[in-house]
Amino acid sequence: MDFEPNDNQTAILDGLEQLITSLRIETPKEGETQVFSEALDAELATSGYLDIAREEDFTVLDAALVVERIARLPVTAEVTNSMIVAPLFPAGEVDRPLALVQGSPLAPARFLPHAKSLLVDRGDDLLLVKVDPARVEPVESLFAYPYGKLDSVDGLETRSLGAAMLAPLRRRWRLGMAVEAAGLMQSALETVLEHVKSRHQFGRPLGSFQAVQHRLAMASATAHAVRWLAFRAAWSDAEEDCAIAATYVQDSIVTFCYDLHQFCGAMGLTLEFPLHFWTYRLKAMLGELGGGSKQARAASTLTWSAAA
Amino acid sequence: MSTIDIASLDAFRERARSWLKANIPAAEAPLDGPESRDFVLDWQKRQFEGGWAGLIWPAEYGGRALSVAEQIVWFEEYAAAHAPSTHSAAFVGLNHAGPTLIACGTEEQKAFHLPKILSGEAIWCQGFSEPGSGSDLASLRTTGRIEGDTLVIDGQKIWSSYADIADYQELLVRTDPQAARHAGITWVICPMNLPGITVRPIRTMAGPTKYCEVFYDGVRLPLADAVVGGINNGWKTAMATLGFERGTASLALQISLIQKVETLARDCADPMLAPRIADLRADAAALKAMSYSFALASEKGTPGPEGSLIRLYFAELAKRVSEAAIDLYGIGSPKLTGDHGWAFEYLDAFSETIAGGTAEIQRNIIGERVLGLPRTRQ
Repeated sequence: MDFEPNDNQTAILDGLEQLITSLRIETPKEGETQVFSEALDAELATSGYLDIAREEDFTVLDAALVVERIARLPVTAEVTNSMIVAPLFPAGEVDRPLALVQGSPLAPARFLPHAKSLLVDRGDDLLLVKVDPARVEPVESLFAYPYGKLDSVDGLETRSLGAAMLAPLRRRWRLGMAVEAAGLMQSALETVLEHVKSRHQFGRPLGSFQAVQHRLAMASATAHAVRWLAFRAAWSDAEEDCAIAATYVQDSIVTFCYDLHQFCGAMGLTLEFPLHFWTYRLKAMLGELGGGSKQARAASTLTWSAAA
Repeated sequence: MSTIDIASLDAFRERARSWLKANIPAAEAPLDGPESRDFVLDWQKRQFEGGWAGLIWPAEYGGRALSVAEQIVWFEEYAAAHAPSTHSAAFVGLNHAGPTLIACGTEEQKAFHLPKILSGEAIWCQGFSEPGSGSDLASLRTTGRIEGDTLVIDGQKIWSSYADIADYQELLVRTDPQAARHAGITWVICPMNLPGITVRPIRTMAGPTKYCEVFYDGVRLPLADAVVGGINNGWKTAMATLGFERGTASLALQISLIQKVETLARDCADPMLAPRIADLRADAAALKAMSYSFALASEKGTPGPEGSLIRLYFAELAKRVSEAAIDLYGIGSPKLTGDHGWAFEYLDAFSETIAGGTAEIQRNIIGERVLGLPRTRQ
């Protein structure tokens, strides 16, 4: 059971594989926790992949396929916001790399140290801030993505994009999280499956123990469910689907990461084992947009208001 | 069930609170390296000189010979005062190496080592796991070859927390390769400054380099000083060590976690998160009930396999609490960052279901040794 891409999507993914191969992306050096790849980011931008969702005959789902594939890499680039969120706005209005934040424009945001634009969900308005890199303070984080925050917005170019754009922004933000998580979960799971097949204890592979098999089977079900929910949401681009996908992702991350790390033992807790390249990033998503409970509330509101 | 003199405990609590208020270090505890060693030894020395170290250890080895109830009160006040975490380089010596020596060591070993642990003169680490022997501890391959009155050690250990700054190691070696898996093992005290020992620190995903790999190349130990519990009887001694590690060693950490849940409850203003925090309070109350009754019941000896029930419950609750804290405070909060922030706690909590026997091993112990179910075929 898997997603069958159409001809367009096959062409996109084949080209992307070639690009990834040509970049010779290697697992970051031992001990590195910040895994932003400027080379990957630049190559994706110049090769046109990041503008796919703006092109005629291409859809949000096509963009989602690229985001999911890139998320499977042990390094990251600002792909999700550029491909899923930015196309909501006319070309040229929101420059990439793009960072998103809720509440205060001074709150920490993923990718802000590399961003040219910051979109701020103020609750009653959507604010666009043109980012001056000199005004960004790096924020200490154990969650792999580069985080930063603005020292202030004084002197920076800001513009209201209107309250009407808040709902679309949140819809695509949720969608982007779900799609990215699908890729992260897939690679994390593959890493652990390889480990439990090769690691022996009590004279047999770890993966032969039912206690291990059962939990990894559930982890696999989670990864599959996230993938399908994310692609379904990308296909419909409907608010409710996106909220449900994001709810499922944020509610699943904790158990998923626990199960995966558990079966890699102490080795899985070190920076010498590659699992953290994906699980750090998954954990970063736990609290975005207020966490899983907020997405669940949004999904419920959408469902019940539609039914009323 | 023994009776507890509440008035006397209240007076003890007041003294503990007052001493902690006056003596807690102003600086935050470093997480690893020589600074961590200096900090931990200095803080331990200060507690010892104040009469607050080894509360339930025998008086003849520097302890106070007090009751477990008083120990619990001390830990409650210790956590409430935000004293340095007990999950430090002092943990092994105070919580399972020392208790193992009390239970299984010779008089000479007790007299030499126990006062050093209590007075902040020595740090201990553990040398049980090997690269090929994690959950399957009895498959360990590090050898201890007996040459006259000397033990010659060759091999490798891993996940030896703070081995890079430790003075002694509780070390398991195979002294009889011909014997059955569990029968040819010996528990020895290994000074970490001996020729032939190499330590490589490993950085964890939570940040510090506290885990270590230890290599032994012809390390020579005087047999009489080293062996605890008898040659080739190390599995039994190791079970005592693990009984402490899984049973009572984490009591202070459990009490600290219970108090952290109360802090989350006080800080929670989000109605969506409130039911989750309420569930955690109930879980913490259950942990408190279990861990206190188990500690009180273990007052007179080595904790039994029921400790695995508490170890498992605590480990999984610790994860849930740190996850809830991240949701409650948000990634940008100062409460998350720093060496002792919730982000560190969250990542560090992953080790709770692995160290001292994974959650799966704890479940096996509960199934086989507590519930009396048939053993798993291996």
